[in-house]
Amino acid sequence: MPVFKTPFNGYAVKFSPFYEHRLAVATAQNFGILGNGRVHVLDLSPAGPISEFAAFDTADAVYDLSWSESHDSLLVAAVADGSVKLYDLSLPPPSNPVRSLHEHTREAHSADYNPVRRDSFITGSWDDTIKLWTIDRPTSVRTFKEHAYCVYSATWNPRHADVFASASGDCTVRIWDVREPGSTMILPAHEFEILSCDWNKYDDCVIATASVDKSIKVWDVRSFRVPLAVLNGHSYAVRKVKFSPHRGSFIASCSYDMTVCLWDYMVEDALIGRYDHHTEFAVGVDMSVLVEGLLASTGWDELVYVWQHGTDPRAP
Amino acid sequence: MAMRELVTGGAACAVPGSFFFLKPPRLSEIPTSATTISDGNFYTGTDEQLNMLPGFDHPLQSNGQGAEFFPGLPPSRSRVNTPLRPDFDGPPQRVLSSFLHSFVNSNQGGIPFHPTPLPVLGLSEGDKQCIRDRSSIMARHFFADKNEDFINAQVNALLSSLDIDSDIQARGPLRGRFRELEGYWNESQGMLKPGPHAADGWVNEFTQHRVQHGDPNAWAHSFELQHGANGWASEFEHEQSQIASVNQIGGSNIANLAAMEQTRMLAHTLVQNSDPKFQNSKFLQFVSKMSRGEIIIEDNQMKPAVASAPGDWAAAYQQQYDGGHTWADQFMHEKANGWANEFAAEREQHGSVDQWVNEFSKLQIQDWAEEFGNQVGEGALGENSADNWANAYDDFLNEQVAAKQRSDTSRGIYEFSDMNPYVGHPNPLKEGQELFRKGLLSEAVLALEAEVLKNPENAEGWRLLGIAHAENDDDQQAIAAMMRAQEVDPTNLEVLLALGVSHTNELEQAAALKYLYSWLRHHSKYGTLAPPEMSDSLYYADIARLFNDAAQMSPEDADVHIVLGVLHNLSREYDKAIAYFKTALKLKPRDYSLWNKLGATQANSVQSADAIEAYQQALDLKPNYVRAWANMGISYANQRMYEESIRYYVRALAMNPKADNAWQYLRISLSCASRNDMMEACDSRNLDVLQKEFPL
Repeated sequence: MPVFKTPFNGYAVKFSPFYEHRLAVATAQNFGILGNGRVHVLDLSPAGPISEFAAFDTADAVYDLSWSESHDSLLVAAVADGSVKLYDLSLPPPSNPVRSLHEHTREAHSADYNPVRRDSFITGSWDDTIKLWTIDRPTSVRTFKEHAYCVYSATWNPRHADVFASASGDCTVRIWDVREPGSTMILPAHEFEILSCDWNKYDDCVIATASVDKSIKVWDVRSFRVPLAVLNGHSYAVRKVKFSPHRGSFIASCSYDMTVCLWDYMVEDALIGRYDHHTEFAVGVDMSVLVEGLLASTGWDELVYVWQHGTDPRAP
Repeated sequence: MAMRELVTGGAACAVPGSFFFLKPPRLSEIPTSATTISDGNFYTGTDEQLNMLPGFDHPLQSNGQGAEFFPGLPPSRSRVNTPLRPDFDGPPQRVLSSFLHSFVNSNQGGIPFHPTPLPVLGLSEGDKQCIRDRSSIMARHFFADKNEDFINAQVNALLSSLDIDSDIQARGPLRGRFRELEGYWNESQGMLKPGPHAADGWVNEFTQHRVQHGDPNAWAHSFELQHGANGWASEFEHEQSQIASVNQIGGSNIANLAAMEQTRMLAHTLVQNSDPKFQNSKFLQFVSKMSRGEIIIEDNQMKPAVASAPGDWAAAYQQQYDGGHTWADQFMHEKANGWANEFAAEREQHGSVDQWVNEFSKLQIQDWAEEFGNQVGEGALGENSADNWANAYDDFLNEQVAAKQRSDTSRGIYEFSDMNPYVGHPNPLKEGQELFRKGLLSEAVLALEAEVLKNPENAEGWRLLGIAHAENDDDQQAIAAMMRAQEVDPTNLEVLLALGVSHTNELEQAAALKYLYSWLRHHSKYGTLAPPEMSDSLYYADIARLFNDAAQMSPEDADVHIVLGVLHNLSREYDKAIAYFKTALKLKPRDYSLWNKLGATQANSVQSADAIEAYQQALDLKPNYVRAWANMGISYANQRMYEESIRYYVRALAMNPKADNAWQYLRISLSCASRNDMMEACDSRNLDVLQKEFPL
């Protein structure tokens, strides 16, 4: 399957929800520690190489991005200078970004577009807050500040337009309802920092959390004393976790152990796939909504891989 | 009687929690939604506004109207187009880039490493802040296995090689100390409070305890009220930062030297990792190089081994490491004052920080708090903050003791009523059965308690007691009684099924499968289906398959269909579960507990209207079925018919005022119905007032 070389270190990869051949990649110079960033929009072709459809440079690392759920050409990027930038692919590069929102006082580390209420998105930041934005407003609608340390990721519930979860270095996941003044639930999910969380796409009470403690845990938020499953197998911190859009019990993850793993948390041998193709920390992974089993990953080896589950990502 | 009684007789729901008694937080699948006061819609517009957005109706259409996404808002170009850093090929950036990448790229033969005099980099304060903060935060992800000092040392080494002061407080270390402290809390708590929960953090414990009592937010809110938004964590961070800065005035050099030593240990650890990928990792090579930066810059030249052997940094390091003491080492050993030194020396003696932590936590907690207070006092902090902190901790301890007392019930210790008039009754079991049949549940409980006090080995007495509690909506007692019944008679099918169901309600899949599997194994007809070797590792699919086999074997056995319904609740396949319960109901149309199960499953699958019909069937068959009354209330609340739900809760509570859960639900519905005027009656559990206000 095809490979794409980015000039900077990869940070995140996301399939377009509108076109099965399109994906976007967030990258950062110098491992995201200092330097510029770049957003790449890539197109797959049936047999040929991956081509670059567009690229946008930023003054600081791009840590994450999210496609709009309402407009096929719109994507939002979380930038390390704290800004949140909206890009419109239908406009020429000089017109982009179409908006740059400066509110986070520290690195913006995650962005997630609301899949139900498709005019809004949330961003998580190292300033310990999550901000809620709508595309028609120049300022954030709300700021959620309860975490005691960096928020590494914030993800909307796939069914409830008002509910999202946030994962933080304060070792908790919080569940929020944007109509409520404070968080609805505090889930002390790990004893170490939690880097990522995602909701099950088929059961809106189930979330997965990924931690520096190398484990992924699957929780039912109604009964969080005991996790539904603990997935061990990564040998370093787990950087991202993502539920499959097609199979309710499938989870993809990537880790500082340089691997991408696929899990089925319902079965005995939960680890059902392990991909060893990256040669540096694997920090971005996604599963296509439009093509079942299609995976993408990126890492600090400056490579973006797209492959079908069960095949070798490096196979030509 | 046992089997039939339990499965058909209504108490298969001897269960804490839900499934057959859905807690409102579980109702609408999301903890918040049921309790949400629904009109607090934050969006200025609603769906109409959403629809007005151009492109909304045709999301797939590729349009060229990008800027129009923001009607009425002129694009603020000035801010939007933030210029890039001067130029990523400009001199400062290029120097930095080659510095950062020199090691990384050296094996590609592209850029030879030039140790650059650092001032040339011209890093701005902002850049330095970036490097400092980001490397601090990231290092905690890479080196999670290492202790805090190790990570700090790693970061300090990296910073010092880039000539970045570490005296400005970086973000990471503060947090790190906080986390360390959290470790102490857990440790000390584990000692105070042995038992299955010892491993959980206090947060966990505390949250749970609160959640059991209704509002998951409560503790956070109350704590914030007392201690301000960030509570003790920020308080303590603040103290720590002051201590840290005090230390830095006296000993920043010492800290750096300690850092170098720690860094050497890091590199040493990395050498031990035999994974070739890690040996070849450019990033780790980079880190390793950075960690030795100070020495390299001191010498102002590269060691040939390092420069010429890309990919072989481990060997290079080993060489250097074996090469005897550096001046940093010597300094470490010679100078014995300063906390960093002492700490490092201590570590060398004891070998691991864990040990030190353990020792520390062995101290009496009070002493430790006092001692800490004193230290903080001496450390140029006001007494007040230390006192506050100690007080908060005292409060926490008290809370722990109380929580422990409360949690004993949930761990299966049965609590008998005081003043039981049936003690001394000639045949309390018969009396209890009679009362239960009449639906006088609270009385039946007393009689059955008298029975098991008289005959603690009577499994039937315990079982029926469990059922009575379950129907009376007291799950904790129900479970405690069922567990006693199982102790006495480990193969009692009704008890096994009830426990399987109760764990299903608690979403404890493994335990539920264990009991359901035992049920099958001990069943005279299906025992042969269950291979005994399976009992070690039970998986949902296997168990479901076995029960499907059993259902094929005897399709007329309602019990098997019931278990299948329960199993499919476990896997959240509610449609299938509903089908199984309906099949069972065809065989046993007068099983009121089965109607209740059907209703609860329908409620779980968001069919609250259907659920109400099922509950009504259960109540027609058994008018004193407290649980069904309460479940009915939940279904109405789910449909936002709060007034209706209040009436059902009040009815349930009139029958059993001890049903704590129902009081919680009532409170929520009162608040959702804006009946704050009745809140006081609810809080004081004044049923007379409530019944008058909300007749059914």
